[in-house]
Amino acid sequence: MRNLLRGLVARHALFITLCMLLLGGFEFLICGLVATVDVSGILKEVTKAVPAFLQGLLTEQVFSGMTTRGILAFGWNHPVALALGAAVAVVLAAQAVAGEIENGTLELLLSQPLSRRNYLFAHVLFALLALGVLSLLGVLGTYLGQKYYGLALFEWRPLRQLALNFFALNAAWYGLALLLSVFARESGRVTGATFLFALLSYVVQALGKLWPAAGLLLPYSLYSYYAPAEILIQEASTAKALTVLGSVCVCSLGLSLWRFQRRDIP
Amino acid sequence: MTALQIDNLSKRYGALHALRDVSFAVESGEIFGYLGPNGAGKTTTLRAILGLVRTESGEVRLFGEKIGRAEIRAGVGFLPGELHLYANMTGAALLNYFADFRPQQPPKLRPKLLDKLEVDHTVLARRVKFLSHGTKQKLGLVIAMQHDPRLLLLDEPTLGLDPLMQKALHELLLDFAKRGSAVLFSSHILSEVKSICHRVAILREGELVAVERLDTLRDKMIRRLQVRFRNTVPKTLPQTAGIVRAQITGHEATLWVQGDINPMLRCLAASEVEHLVFPEPELEDIFMSYFQPQEQDRA
Repeated sequence: MRNLLRGLVARHALFITLCMLLLGGFEFLICGLVATVDVSGILKEVTKAVPAFLQGLLTEQVFSGMTTRGILAFGWNHPVALALGAAVAVVLAAQAVAGEIENGTLELLLSQPLSRRNYLFAHVLFALLALGVLSLLGVLGTYLGQKYYGLALFEWRPLRQLALNFFALNAAWYGLALLLSVFARESGRVTGATFLFALLSYVVQALGKLWPAAGLLLPYSLYSYYAPAEILIQEASTAKALTVLGSVCVCSLGLSLWRFQRRDIP
Repeated sequence: MTALQIDNLSKRYGALHALRDVSFAVESGEIFGYLGPNGAGKTTTLRAILGLVRTESGEVRLFGEKIGRAEIRAGVGFLPGELHLYANMTGAALLNYFADFRPQQPPKLRPKLLDKLEVDHTVLARRVKFLSHGTKQKLGLVIAMQHDPRLLLLDEPTLGLDPLMQKALHELLLDFAKRGSAVLFSSHILSEVKSICHRVAILREGELVAVERLDTLRDKMIRRLQVRFRNTVPKTLPQTAGIVRAQITGHEATLWVQGDINPMLRCLAASEVEHLVFPEPELEDIFMSYFQPQEQDRA
């Protein structure tokens, strides 16, 4: 299995490193933005342009009172950060089975003395490690940004909680994408379907937060279990979110293994 | 020792019967040809042997043990029919990557294989995506054979190889068999199977038509011959011993011959022959041997 992991590192190192640098750099730059530009002032001007009933919601829910910390937290809820996390999760999952089938390499791989369980285990291990490092580098970007631009530092505990929440969210996306991957033969379809699902989930969460009548949809969006603002500002507990996201991940991985051991290759 | 035993293997893809009740065995030291036209079920059989596809019924045993444990495949080398390799790896990295799946079996045959198949170090240093189809096929063969497997499963191995390399591969396979390994060699080209196999299984539409020794197959085989006579076709020709079917059009005759060809040659020698074509038998000729009723046509 060690050589399988080595092969995965060789194949995906560039893509994952790029995503890590982008996320870390993005969070670092958000700190720079907060420190050098009067973002809250600009946002206040922007929110004046939206209907009155949305102003309060935007201020409270999205920009968390438009404090420096609130905007830094928004940097973690920004579509760029969410997309980078989801990209690593979805691409690795799509490539794990559907991608290898599409490339025609899975047949030769599984003809080696390598069980399907070990094959999938290596892929899951690699992906979770990559997502873990991605989360840590993102948090490191925020920390270094705060230090460099002289902003008040977050405590370690909420930063750790944030990294864990971000990791759990993307691990859940990985599990769901892997579940699609073990049924599919083309990675493009898996990637497309999972991103569409993630987008839908994001829209549902945004709608649920901004429009009280749509609040009942919130539990069905994975993004509802990812709350950087609550973690960083209110130091809220992430136990429930981690339980839900962890359950989605574990169930998806379990089903993926069950299906993968039974499917025909290719 | 029986290296591979297949009993009553059946596999369906929806309404399509890919394999129906296929049974045969391959002994150690034997080169076993697995013949059939495209879509006959050869690749499905190989995939079933490796546990890549789930079968509806039947059983596969490798070295006497039921397939299921991944470790059992340590003694197997496999070349897929449609070989795809990691494009961004170099040839050398690729060989090492697959060798590392068998830490207990070092790739001791690699130098010999690389030499025989004429894969030099410059080729190994290049990324796979820059290699020709034939060179990739050679790398696939080295991956399959470098750990000296006890059973070699090769799906159309000569695809993309030039005649010299095909000959080199045949020599390698004969050497494998001499050292006691079993080789299952799938092909739709009769001549290459004839040149190296001890026994052949013939598959058509998922069903085994026959499992024969090569000499038995030769005796049973119906071969097609085309003759153009300077004058009329001898009337006794269709009744000549060995001719199982004759189609006559003007001065031309197409003859299907089985077994001893000497009576037919004597009959032809009695007439003036203008042109004669006696091609190498093809797969259809074998199927004809097993399926076509004996008949004589006269146009």
